[in-house]
Amino acid sequence: MYIYLPIAEVSMHIGIIIGLGGGVGFLSGLFGVGGGFLMTPLLIFFGIPPAVAVSTEANQIVASSVSGVLAHMRRGNVDFKMGGILMLGGVIGSSLGVVLFSFLRSIGQIDLVIKLSYVVFLGIIGALMLAESLRTIMRSRKPGGTRGKLHQHNWLHGLPFKMRFRRSKLYISAILPLAIGAFVGVLAAIMGVGGGFIMVPAMIYLLGMPTSVVVGTSLFQIIFVTANVTLLQSIQTQTVDFVLAGLLLFGAVIGAQFGSRASSVLRGEQLRGLLALLVLAVCVKIGYDLVVRPEDLLSVELLK
Amino acid sequence: MSRQNSVMIMLGLWLMLAVVPASAAPQRLVADLSQNNVEITSSYHGTELLLFGAFEGSDGDDVVLLVSGPQIRLAQRRSDKVAGIWVNVETNIWENAPSFYYVFSTRPLAEIATPDTLRAARIGARSLPLEFTRQGGAHNGHEQSAKATTANAATIASADMIGGLIRNMQDMGLWAEKTAAVTLQRNMLFRATLDLPKNVPPGNYEVRVVHFRDGDVLSEEMTGMKIKKAGLSALIYNFAHDYSAFYGLFAIVFAVCSGWLAAVAFRRK
Repeated sequence: MYIYLPIAEVSMHIGIIIGLGGGVGFLSGLFGVGGGFLMTPLLIFFGIPPAVAVSTEANQIVASSVSGVLAHMRRGNVDFKMGGILMLGGVIGSSLGVVLFSFLRSIGQIDLVIKLSYVVFLGIIGALMLAESLRTIMRSRKPGGTRGKLHQHNWLHGLPFKMRFRRSKLYISAILPLAIGAFVGVLAAIMGVGGGFIMVPAMIYLLGMPTSVVVGTSLFQIIFVTANVTLLQSIQTQTVDFVLAGLLLFGAVIGAQFGSRASSVLRGEQLRGLLALLVLAVCVKIGYDLVVRPEDLLSVELLK
Repeated sequence: MSRQNSVMIMLGLWLMLAVVPASAAPQRLVADLSQNNVEITSSYHGTELLLFGAFEGSDGDDVVLLVSGPQIRLAQRRSDKVAGIWVNVETNIWENAPSFYYVFSTRPLAEIATPDTLRAARIGARSLPLEFTRQGGAHNGHEQSAKATTANAATIASADMIGGLIRNMQDMGLWAEKTAAVTLQRNMLFRATLDLPKNVPPGNYEVRVVHFRDGDVLSEEMTGMKIKKAGLSALIYNFAHDYSAFYGLFAIVFAVCSGWLAAVAFRRK
């Protein structure tokens, strides 16, 4: 059964949409990530215009982050103060990102920038995650390894506007989380992702937050960043297709349940290793598309 | 539905023509569509229409049917290898381009008439009165603009770009040239099947029928149709465009509620 998507202006088989949601939902449940970095390229691959894919995915991530953050809130694993600062940065960054997105689209370079962002950031994060999980797997095999310090002090801790974050047990400058939030916000708006895959490592390695609060706090701020992208894209470009978002969400909710059950079968470092491979696979695929000669050097875009 | 109906319509037309003496009037041409209003609803996945009509023909006559959609601007981009990756290096704007342009004919256009005749009659993608603007790019800083048909635009736009434009639009299913797609019956009736693609642009469509004899236009007739979004898909589209801020807020509330529902629904298990 086909359904005509009113904003994307294409018709797509309903089974494909729900299947995509389910598949990506399964992986996001398995690995504990949002899955935007998989979904947005897949939507584009299935013929959804890039602008619609990015905006609609932002809308879908609002929902998956809300359902994810509730579980973390019950366990008290959200640092609202830190989340608030990250969110403030994220809202500023994603607003800039939406403007940048429109500009790049008008000069015909948005596809290139989306692809390059994917290659660069998925490449870096994937490689780091793979190295880390391999190290952990190796270390667990030979006992007696020494544990490093939780975090090192460096020049970043000398910045002004210091604030105390009780839940994260930190006393650091507010500029740092604000800047991280803004940076990830720009990427979220351009790449059609929540940005958790960059935010989480940044929180652990740059801010030195305890791992227990990292995921919950990241999800908390992602809700606001993606909601901001949804609103701004709706106003500026009318590219949010909530029929598509709703169907994807339906599949994703079910897929995520199976995914999170399956995740108990594997160990943490194994999961991270697999996720790293998945991230690198997406990076390589998109990178390959950039270097291989396109079938047709000319392309046409319908303007309004 | 359409097959049975169309058979009835054809039969009716045929009878009508049979009663009228063939010599009664100068060249007459009538054309119609099996549907003058096409609605794009939520279940739309392309549709088939019948283009049909009657004409006073003789052996060897040709009929050309042209279906054109609302005019839009097209951005044509050329990519080239820059620092190892393929990048769009040039953008050209084509104005007054039909968003949809299907040409049906009894024979290949080149066999029906000379290029000059086709251009004068505005038939075929190479005869469209497009306006071409070279929008900067790597080579030219300055803009060039000119009114041109795709045929004589060759002075400013290379043949390669015109060919590319037609090829790209055809690949998207928005332009097509279908030869041997018009069926003639006893030189009185003509018919063609119009396959509207799933990505058909909504708007007002113009349908032209041109009757050729010995390479010249004998008569022509115009009719129209309307393609519009309807039902839920129209409602959502209009909501998104007319009240975009509310639409955005609605999309957010919808997402928050469904996320919350999902979390509650699966907690019990």
